[in-house]
Amino acid sequence: MDVLNVDYMLGLVPVLLRYLPLTLQLAGAGMLFALVLACLFAVVRVLRIPVLNQLTIVFISFFRGTPLLVQLFLFYYGLPQLFSALTVIDGITATVMGLTLHFSAYMAESIRAAIVGVDRSQTEAALSIGMTNSQLMRRIVLPQATRVALPTLMNYFIDMIKATSLAFTLGVTELMGATQKEAAGSFLYFEAFIVAAIIYWIVVELLSKLQNHLETRLNKAYNR
Amino acid sequence: MKTLLINALLILSLFASAPVLAQDEPLRVGMSGQYFPFTFVEQDELKGFEVDVMNALGDQLGRSIQYETANFSGLFGMLEAGRIDTVANQITITAERQQAYVFSEPYVYDGAQVVIKKGNTEVQGVEDLKGKTVAVNLGSNFEALLRELPYADQINIKTYESNLERDTALGRVDAFVMDRVSASQIIKEKPLPLALAGPPFSQITNAYPFRDTEAGRALRDQINQALAALRDNGTLASISEKWFGTDITQP
Repeated sequence: MDVLNVDYMLGLVPVLLRYLPLTLQLAGAGMLFALVLACLFAVVRVLRIPVLNQLTIVFISFFRGTPLLVQLFLFYYGLPQLFSALTVIDGITATVMGLTLHFSAYMAESIRAAIVGVDRSQTEAALSIGMTNSQLMRRIVLPQATRVALPTLMNYFIDMIKATSLAFTLGVTELMGATQKEAAGSFLYFEAFIVAAIIYWIVVELLSKLQNHLETRLNKAYNR
Repeated sequence: MKTLLINALLILSLFASAPVLAQDEPLRVGMSGQYFPFTFVEQDELKGFEVDVMNALGDQLGRSIQYETANFSGLFGMLEAGRIDTVANQITITAERQQAYVFSEPYVYDGAQVVIKKGNTEVQGVEDLKGKTVAVNLGSNFEALLRELPYADQINIKTYESNLERDTALGRVDAFVMDRVSASQIIKEKPLPLALAGPPFSQITNAYPFRDTEAGRALRDQINQALAALRDNGTLASISEKWFGTDITQP
């Protein structure tokens, strides 16, 4: 076994950290858009709004049923071939689009499950005092559903952070892309990828801490 | 109504000025950044033979260069989609590619080389690849060269996005095929137990591909002029000497 080149690893840390903000921005933007979209889908599904409900079912089926990498290639390489104006979709945009659509499909289902999980008597009570459908959703159902959905949503966010590593295939040099290039130049693969792995790991650990904190807060009303 | 008219005029003037603006825009060049020593990254800095030649061409043309790095197999897709203007990644001129793209004059003359793990006595040249597993880069011309061999159906060709040198050194494949000069350089400078197997088995000439459009052909003509100038003043030769210790820019 070759000896690990520790100096190389230490030198690589600041270099790779420069690409962490982009990784986090991709995941952050993807998560934000995906949440909005997923909530809309979930509400459409729960209320069974005609036409929209069917469209949403097809959408979720497609984006859950195909690999993220295939979707990214479709947006980035495929669409500009059909419509040359779509060349404006650069690698970063295509990545955020892919993450948004892909993960919103998953998240819509878990949000829907959380909404459906809110006890039916709550809905009946709200309606009996004259709340409209949207009031019912905003004031009664969604706050309770959030608490149930949070752990799975955080899981998806963590998954999304790691999924940003696919962006390099679209020419976006984020954390994984930078690592691959450094490794290909030095031929020190273990050193380069273990540094990247540790950076991802620390980021995800920090997020798990945040999740625990949020869960404790949302559970406050239920603790006696 | 008035604002609409002004807006329409503004948009029109934008279109009209587009060709003029195009001159000042940087030349967008795609490369993998994973092909030592042609294009590679060290401490966040993109370098290599391709980068030096392209920068010299940029100076010659008075245009700045904007590098876009992506996996090799994605580069032609980016060229096709108009995301980059050309590819600087040792693109070998082949009949197939010539049907889709126009090429500049060649700037590298090289050979296809079989590379093995040091100490592998079974493979001593291209003729020994029969029944062996051989690594090539996905979308590269070396795959096509292997398929042209009379015993191609007996070669198990494995395609890689990158890192095939490492897999050969680990013994996961019996050999890889790449260009002779970079293979020699990797063996000389990098800590991998590899060796050349036999002489190069096919001559290859590498050049810049452009989209087969009016703009693409115009750009090719400009690059050709700049290439000729760099050849005449010795710049090409000296860049080659710097990276390879020999002049690979001459036939």
